Amino acid sequence: MVVGFIFLVLSGLLGWRLVELQIMEPDRYLERGLAQRIRTVTLPAARGAIVDRNGVDLALSVPRLSVVANPGMVDDPAGAAIALAGVLGTDIGVLEERLSRQRSFVYLDRQVDSEVADNAMALDLSGVYTRPENARLRPGDGSGLALLGRTDIDSNGISGLELVYDNLLSGTNGEMIVEAGLGGSTIPGGEYRVEPAEQGLSLVLTIDRALQFEAERLLADGVEAAGGKGGVLVAMSPTTGEVLASATVERGDDGVVRPSTEHKVATWTFEPGSIMKPLTMSAVLETGTAAPDTVREVPGNVFVHDADFKDSFPHGTEEWSVADILRQSSNVGTILWAQDLGEEALYRQLLDYGLGAVTDLRFPGEARGILTPVGRWSGTSLPTIAIGQGVSATPIQMLTAFATLANDGRRPAPTLVRGSLDDGGVFTPIQAAEQIEVVPSGIARSVVSMMEAVVSDGTGKRGQVPGYRVAGKTGTAWKPLAEGGYGEDKGEIRYVASFAGFLPAEAPELVILVVVDEPARRAYSGGRAAAPIFSDYAQFAVRQLRMPSEFERTGLDQFGRVMATTPARASELQAAEEAALSGTG
Amino acid sequence: MTAVVRPVAGSEALRDRTTRSTTGSRDATSGRPALGAMGALSTFGFFVALLAMASLHSVLVNGQFEFDSLQDRLEYGQQRSQVLREEVARLESPSRILSAATGRLGMTPPPNRLYLPAVVPGDPLHPLPAPSENPFSLQVR
Repeated sequence: MVVGFIFLVLSGLLGWRLVELQIMEPDRYLERGLAQRIRTVTLPAARGAIVDRNGVDLALSVPRLSVVANPGMVDDPAGAAIALAGVLGTDIGVLEERLSRQRSFVYLDRQVDSEVADNAMALDLSGVYTRPENARLRPGDGSGLALLGRTDIDSNGISGLELVYDNLLSGTNGEMIVEAGLGGSTIPGGEYRVEPAEQGLSLVLTIDRALQFEAERLLADGVEAAGGKGGVLVAMSPTTGEVLASATVERGDDGVVRPSTEHKVATWTFEPGSIMKPLTMSAVLETGTAAPDTVREVPGNVFVHDADFKDSFPHGTEEWSVADILRQSSNVGTILWAQDLGEEALYRQLLDYGLGAVTDLRFPGEARGILTPVGRWSGTSLPTIAIGQGVSATPIQMLTAFATLANDGRRPAPTLVRGSLDDGGVFTPIQAAEQIEVVPSGIARSVVSMMEAVVSDGTGKRGQVPGYRVAGKTGTAWKPLAEGGYGEDKGEIRYVASFAGFLPAEAPELVILVVVDEPARRAYSGGRAAAPIFSDYAQFAVRQLRMPSEFERTGLDQFGRVMATTPARASELQAAEEAALSGTG
Repeated sequence: MTAVVRPVAGSEALRDRTTRSTTGSRDATSGRPALGAMGALSTFGFFVALLAMASLHSVLVNGQFEFDSLQDRLEYGQQRSQVLREEVARLESPSRILSAATGRLGMTPPPNRLYLPAVVPGDPLHPLPAPSENPFSLQVR
């Protein structure tokens, strides 16, 4: 009887439990079951690559393993630290401290080579395992580093183009929800939902890797030869504004000249000196103040306000044309014409060339330079600004100004990016900004013609490139001191030597600016310090860009001629042909 | 004679009865095997269905396993492709080529450079001469 009663009670309890499980709260256990089976896996979006104009990888993300640990599961932190230190090359104390933390997850070493990860796992330490991550690598070592920029260890852009185009490169992570059984294998017919990751787009730059590397190499050699503190070399296509190479080098504390981590092409300003004269002369021609062959008397010096201006070489009063003044880089002649031109016209012209304003590069930390409004000019502002002193500009601003002259007076918008490339290889070009007409094409061609004489028979002879007609201008500027002035009173003048030019002069395809900061006194002029670098670089660049020489240009338009080309140029030609066909069709 | 006839009639009636009774007994006994056959058939069908479901499930599991394996291979392939891509870019980078040329191969920059004009096969203005049989040898007469 008692046993029957107990049995009845137990049966009742069991029945009640069944009712509770099956009817009153069935979802609770269903959820617990699902939670055990359902796995949510994040599908990481790979950061897009940065490629050059020919599709060569400049920066890309590569899967790597990080060695991580759950300190709670590590039996002997001290022993594990000793064993891991030899494999990871990390200090034993650091590893022991990490392995002793009261946390469930610590990194021991991030994004290591697969061999290192394998060796770490071969130690078979409890609580130590690996975790897949993506490492950002630049296969060209330090080449273009200032331009490309860096990412942090989690692949977020923190400088340079990696920062500017971080959103485009990053992509969006996806998610996979899957029902998995014991051992992690997927249960067939179970829950399976995938939201694919949106991979980051690849960024196609206007840079040519070979031109970039050679720019850095030749510039470093040139700065070393000139005994300079640093330098900048930047090359551009004047018709499109595409920057083909952008190099900055500086002398380190160890005395070695090497590529800088700062993209000074956009962030550094300098007083341009005589490379400003073609811009001044274009204003003189445009306003009709003079023509290239207009002759005037040019004395050995000119006194303006409270300052005496002289040329870099002594001479008596000469009868020089505008072209002669530019060819010999005469300060006095340029100042005399600038006085006839007037402050307002000069100021307006320089603004039109893009001085005093940031360019369309959108580079972080880009400087705007200093071009004081004409209302605040002193008595010596006009003569000093006309010859490139008392005004500062970035190398990219000066290059763009020269590109304007090379591009028939239309100012191109400088750009570092051609477009983006998606996973399927579809290229989306970035809309180029409109070109602004600064001077009429006739005036630009006159200035180009005068600049050609500078290279063939003037101060820029060392900038000649065999087989090509070159137009250019040398610049030798005094460098302002931090405490003010130029140090002329103490005989401590420091210089900035420069050469800006383009080729072929008859149809410019490449414009290059070379600046050498503080060259040694033995060769401080633009003609000696910067022009040879220009020449060496241009000789390489014309071959790399397959630019035909004067000889090769003969019969260039003849039907059936086949010219060597680059992948980027081939795609441009193909696009142009397709556009022409669709236009006619 | 009459007595002879009756049993005949009676025998027919008996035969009829016998026939009826035999027919009735055959109806009762012939229903059982049909049911049994149906039961056996159902059982067989049930097991066949079970077997088919098991086979189908096995195919499904196999397919899922293959799918998982393919996904793993795809992921591995993509990762491997990225690693190889980086290696190619590193190997063909100008800095590595320069370092190999000046270091391992002992090359030095020439004192002077002479650039030859670019001649492209098919250019009518600069036709290429036909290559000699062995362009890497010199014949001295």
